[in-house]
Amino acid sequence: MLFGNADEILDAFKMVVPYYLLIALPLMIIISPVNPVAGAQEFPAFRMQQYDLHGVPHGCRSSIVSLDGRGLSSWSSSRHCVLARIEDLTVDLYRDIRTRAGALLVILPKQEEMAKLSDTAKQHILSLESAMMQQETQIPVYFSHWTPEVQSILEDIDEISPASNQKGTAAEAMINQISANGYQIVVGAGHPSVRSEISIANIHGKLVGNGHEDKLPTVVVTAHYDSFAVIPGESYGANSNAAGVAMLLELARLMSSLYSDTRTHPRYNLVFLLTGGGKMNYQGSKKWLEDQVDGENALPQDSTYVLCLDSIAGSGPIYYHVSKPPKEGSVGDRLVKSLNTAAEQEEPTTAVVLNHKKINLAEETLAWEHERFSMKRLPAATLSTVKSHKDFARSSILDTKDQLDISSLARNTRVVAEALGKHIFALNSGKIFSDQLGVDENSLQMWIDYLASMTRATHVVSHKNHQVVGALKDALTKYLKGVKVTYMVPDRRDPEVAFYDPVRTIVNVYSVKPAIFDLILTFAIVAYLLIIYLVLQNFSSIYSLSASIVGVRKNKSD
Amino acid sequence: MTLYHFGNCVALVYVPYYLTYKFSGLGEYGAFWKCFQAGCIYVFTQLAKMLILATFFPTSDAPGIVGLDYVTEFLKATVDLLDLAGMYLVLSGIPGKGHAKIVTAGVGWGGAELLLTRGLLLWVGARGAEFHWKYTQKCLESNINLVQHVTTAALVWMWTRHDLKKSLVPIVTMLLLAMTYKPLVMENVLEVMAFSAWSALAMKALATVLFGVITLQMYVVLAESIGMF
Repeated sequence: MLFGNADEILDAFKMVVPYYLLIALPLMIIISPVNPVAGAQEFPAFRMQQYDLHGVPHGCRSSIVSLDGRGLSSWSSSRHCVLARIEDLTVDLYRDIRTRAGALLVILPKQEEMAKLSDTAKQHILSLESAMMQQETQIPVYFSHWTPEVQSILEDIDEISPASNQKGTAAEAMINQISANGYQIVVGAGHPSVRSEISIANIHGKLVGNGHEDKLPTVVVTAHYDSFAVIPGESYGANSNAAGVAMLLELARLMSSLYSDTRTHPRYNLVFLLTGGGKMNYQGSKKWLEDQVDGENALPQDSTYVLCLDSIAGSGPIYYHVSKPPKEGSVGDRLVKSLNTAAEQEEPTTAVVLNHKKINLAEETLAWEHERFSMKRLPAATLSTVKSHKDFARSSILDTKDQLDISSLARNTRVVAEALGKHIFALNSGKIFSDQLGVDENSLQMWIDYLASMTRATHVVSHKNHQVVGALKDALTKYLKGVKVTYMVPDRRDPEVAFYDPVRTIVNVYSVKPAIFDLILTFAIVAYLLIIYLVLQNFSSIYSLSASIVGVRKNKSD
Repeated sequence: MTLYHFGNCVALVYVPYYLTYKFSGLGEYGAFWKCFQAGCIYVFTQLAKMLILATFFPTSDAPGIVGLDYVTEFLKATVDLLDLAGMYLVLSGIPGKGHAKIVTAGVGWGGAELLLTRGLLLWVGARGAEFHWKYTQKCLESNINLVQHVTTAALVWMWTRHDLKKSLVPIVTMLLLAMTYKPLVMENVLEVMAFSAWSALAMKALATVLFGVITLQMYVVLAESIGMF
């Protein structure tokens, strides 16, 4: 019977598919709007760092993804985009993915849970981050925060793993393969493009001492305000270096009140400098130095000392990083001594530890900001609660304001302010800043809150009119004289730094079925239609069947 | 999920209509024009319904009282009685009697609904990169609707016949009312029972087939009594 009907079916389909469709369908496809976003899940994602420093490429070099989503256990080739929670990703796995997979999407914990991670989890993330930044990456790497939707995708993706297939029989494995929920991960961002119009702002202002300005010695206090992390869109840099900036602003406030009173006007110049591009090998300080040393009002090398503040909110001792041990009786030596005195005055006492490290010119980047100044023969030191410049916590996504201990920052600020005060007044004992004129914890907190509430990656803040620069300039103008913003613009031909967009983008996740599934579905539909065909073909027999049923009933009722 | 999936869905939607059209012998009657007219009346009826709904049941953004909701929903479903009037109009416009008339009305009506409610959905949705079962479900649902529309047409036709057995009149009326309020009842029941989309579809199919079978039985009785097939 089926074979007898085959001709009719063929006829039917000939009638079903008229020839005009051959023209109409393509036409409709052409005119119909192509909107691939509809119906898909989409969530914001951050791209990994990409920048060139002195022409050397760093970070992730590509951005476009259109690949099958797979889990850590199920990916196998460069046709897969690996989705993994950062907890599950190890350094070895990352290296493997970097060389063999097509793309990587790292799922971070929820934003509010980032602060509550255990110490081992933090250590894990830190080591992963440093491994990621160590070498440039050819595959696109994205980061996204955890959401329930992402969780369900992760669970589905794990099901595709070959490991789970081995449990059942071959048939089960096949059914799994066919019915599995696949995910197509699409990031439609354009190719990485160099960000044009980079201008790294330095903001500086000064307090002029009592007397002839050029004859007085000078202390330059400096801190860089930008931050760095593997994700430029998520680098809040609370300790490094919102803390340094907050301390610098507080010092400016305290000192300005001393300078405004004729009775306490010291015979010392103070220069406050906020530099940009600190995480890009201290480009801002480099530019400022060039302007100063080569410019007209150069700072005299013998009577200037530069103090850099960097990552200074830790609870431990304050390290006094220098590239040359200070000579007995020099400014540096006296500063260390007054810092020690001030540290001992604290309740409980803290310590200032001298840490000497020679400048290594063979390394790609300088270790600390003071090395920029030391190289220009300006005596300089960096104050930090971080012991080693290799500590990756200074450039981590974990450096958020929740991790910051504001009371430690206040204590360190008191120590530095006191030491600086003692130094410029040449005092050996007593307390300068106390009671009314003391360190204001609220003001520190306010600045930390403001600065660490947004990403200040060098990427992001390095353009004219960025709000952070404006806010810092306004703050300095309140306390200091001659506040100026100068810009460092990378050379056009041979740029010192180059940043790449996009920083943040949207990841689209389409749930897709394997191609074989479509085929199976076609078979099912054909079978279903065949049944309908048979039912309709034999409708007369159904009709007569029901007639006979009713007929029987009729007879009975009659 | 690509053009291929769209093709799958279209086949699933379109072929049953085509088969019904062909195997009920409508093609031989040249009933295509009549089907088209039925479709036009469908569009007209829907417009009238929409006007009434928009005039008397403006959607309020404020969260309403739950108890009142049922009454409004019931009244809204009552507007669907207009469908029956439309169907009556369709049937009265088709000459002749018997199954061809009913199937013409059902297919025309259902076809118009198909084009207007499913066409765009499938075109936009099923062609996207994302796969979702809901398109397949919608297609199957439209197949169920075909059965329902033919059943409704048969019921309306029987209701207008004077030679219908007096004992069957209340049953036919009841069934017509049941058909009208079926979506409302089904929706509430499904919501309460929290069925999955597939079992909800199965429930709908079951209910529709049940109605269809009862209607067929009565239709057979009427057809036999007036000597028609």
